[in-house]
Amino acid sequence: MTIAGGTIGGGPRAADAGTWEGSGVATQIWVLALRSLRALVLDPRILVSSLLAPFLMLLVFSQIFAGIANTPQFPAGVGYTDFLVPAIMVNTAMQSAMQTGIGLTQETQNGIIARLRSLPIWPGSILVGRSIAELIRSLLRLVVLLASALLIFGFRPAGGAGGVLAGIGLAALLGWGLGWIFIALTCWLREVELIQNVSGILLFPLMFASNAFVPVEALPRWLQVVAVINPMTHGIDAVRDLTHRGDAGGSAAVAVATALAVAVVAGFTAVKGLERDS
Amino acid sequence: MNPAGGGEPMIVARGIGKRYGSVTALDGVDLDVHQGSVHGLLGHNGAGKTTLVRILTAQTRPSAGRATVSGFDVVDQPERLRRKIGLTGQFASVDEQLSGRDNLILIARLLGAGRRQARARADELLESFGLVDAAGRLARTFSGGMRRRLDLAASLVGRPAVVFLDEPTTGLDPAARLNVWQIVRDLVRDGATVLLTSQYLDEIDRLSESLTVLSDGRILAAGSPMELKHQVGRRTAVVRFEAVADLKVAGPVLSGSGLRPALDEARTSVTVPVETSRDIATIVRALDDAGLELSELQVAEPTLDEVYLSLMSAAAQSAGSERAEAVK
Ligand SMILES: Nc1ncnc2c1ncn2[C@@H]1O[C@H](COP(=O)(O)OP(=O)(O)OP(=O)(O)O)[C@@H](O)[C@H]1O
Ligand SMILES: [Mg+2]
Repeated sequence: MTIAGGTIGGGPRAADAGTWEGSGVATQIWVLALRSLRALVLDPRILVSSLLAPFLMLLVFSQIFAGIANTPQFPAGVGYTDFLVPAIMVNTAMQSAMQTGIGLTQETQNGIIARLRSLPIWPGSILVGRSIAELIRSLLRLVVLLASALLIFGFRPAGGAGGVLAGIGLAALLGWGLGWIFIALTCWLREVELIQNVSGILLFPLMFASNAFVPVEALPRWLQVVAVINPMTHGIDAVRDLTHRGDAGGSAAVAVATALAVAVVAGFTAVKGLERDS
Repeated sequence: MNPAGGGEPMIVARGIGKRYGSVTALDGVDLDVHQGSVHGLLGHNGAGKTTLVRILTAQTRPSAGRATVSGFDVVDQPERLRRKIGLTGQFASVDEQLSGRDNLILIARLLGAGRRQARARADELLESFGLVDAAGRLARTFSGGMRRRLDLAASLVGRPAVVFLDEPTTGLDPAARLNVWQIVRDLVRDGATVLLTSQYLDEIDRLSESLTVLSDGRILAAGSPMELKHQVGRRTAVVRFEAVADLKVAGPVLSGSGLRPALDEARTSVTVPVETSRDIATIVRALDDAGLELSELQVAEPTLDEVYLSLMSAAAQSAGSERAEAVK
């Protein structure tokens, strides 16, 4: 096979074919986010399973724990579904966070990260692009979760539409911030199974040693101690306040600030890890 | 060393070393590759070829020595260096979740192309690499060889001045290999500089003006394929006879003329190392004087395979004697 004159070549003679000056960081992030998003949304299997997971969680937990709503520790006048939905929202966002790390490791293994690293781009773009794609998917999952909660499970948040939207935004932001911890782990550990295990080990106690499924007061005393210092408890509290009252006061501000601080510190660590010599 | 007599140096390495813990992957490697030439890198598995490519493409830092590519230092100017290079690593690195075309468009966009330019460049490359029919399919569904070609195309999107190809034809069918060879020639014709590693010696022989043989991280030999062949291999004459009886006579006759024949009864042929063309005349005259009828006479140049194998066995021997010295 022959190639038409000078179309693939490089070097001086290719100059007249027009060489590109490189792309800005914003373009890099945009192009890479679209790339990840396309993979996440275009594959119907990945899309359906990711949308189904929060729905199933809501279904199962609302059945298992419904009885708790009748115990004295439970806040009066709140249905269990109303209590549970914010926790599932936060949990859904956390799973998206984990997923960010796992997806990134798989890419490291099939070599595309190596290809991207050989290009003249800011390595952080690769990570930011992926985290944005995952944030968008997380929002999509939250919307589907809330739609099914409203339509099927009789979720009647007292906070109204504004409160629910603010709740979605806060949950997604929390997941996005925490996602950077998983991205940083991935950049330093670089092994799929290890990441999956570490992620699972981290997420499990964060979720259960919190006020996600029962009020803190209903937990055994030693777990109460853990739950109170668990950041998840505060995140869930903030989302609950937003959906139940339409206003979370200072707790939402603290949650936002924490998520951003985590994102910055972990993000910095992650880029260092990606640039690390191997 | 620049047998092609080409332009300015594009890849210059001096005393490159690389250690991974207790493993010495590279030790004191020098390299000069001039603009518009193909340089071959040969060596056994684990010799350090990929490590050298990774250092020269600023993927990993050398533990010793300095190197520049297109004038940019691999340690101090990695970003500017990356603007000048294209890399096809030993293992295909394409985005499985994107179509062949989208893979190329992605790279073009990241290199600064506009949407339309990126699409045009992608189509151009798909055409060159015979991937037009598969262009719309997800790379996940590509065969190994197609993936390899897509990977190669991806490394050429930005029209790099220096192209690094780490075993680019491993796993390709013969037609695809020829295609890649043509692409390498076209690259060089357009002024690019190519560093090529390969396990196929005929590939290096055909494509490269100069080559470096690595063994255990050190340079075993360097030069043009011709130089290395003359340095190590010998030309041989192979004479075939109709009958084994003739062959049996030929042996002593040739030895008597001061040559060193090796008989091969299965093929009724004798192989004689030749130093000069005078040796060939001697063979013909001696056999003619003995009244022997030759059915075939061939003079063979040494192949790069022979060069390589003899370099390797020499290296193994000297390593052996060094060890023996150490014991004493
Ligand atoms: N990341 C790494 N960590 C530890 N050792 C490494 C690493 N990369 C390479 N090595 C070692 O360095 C040596 C050279 O490896 P390299 O991959 O450069 O060889 P190669 O010539 O490309 O071999 P092959 O023909 O098998 O591709 C080997 O001994 C290898 O085990
Ligand atoms: Mg290799």
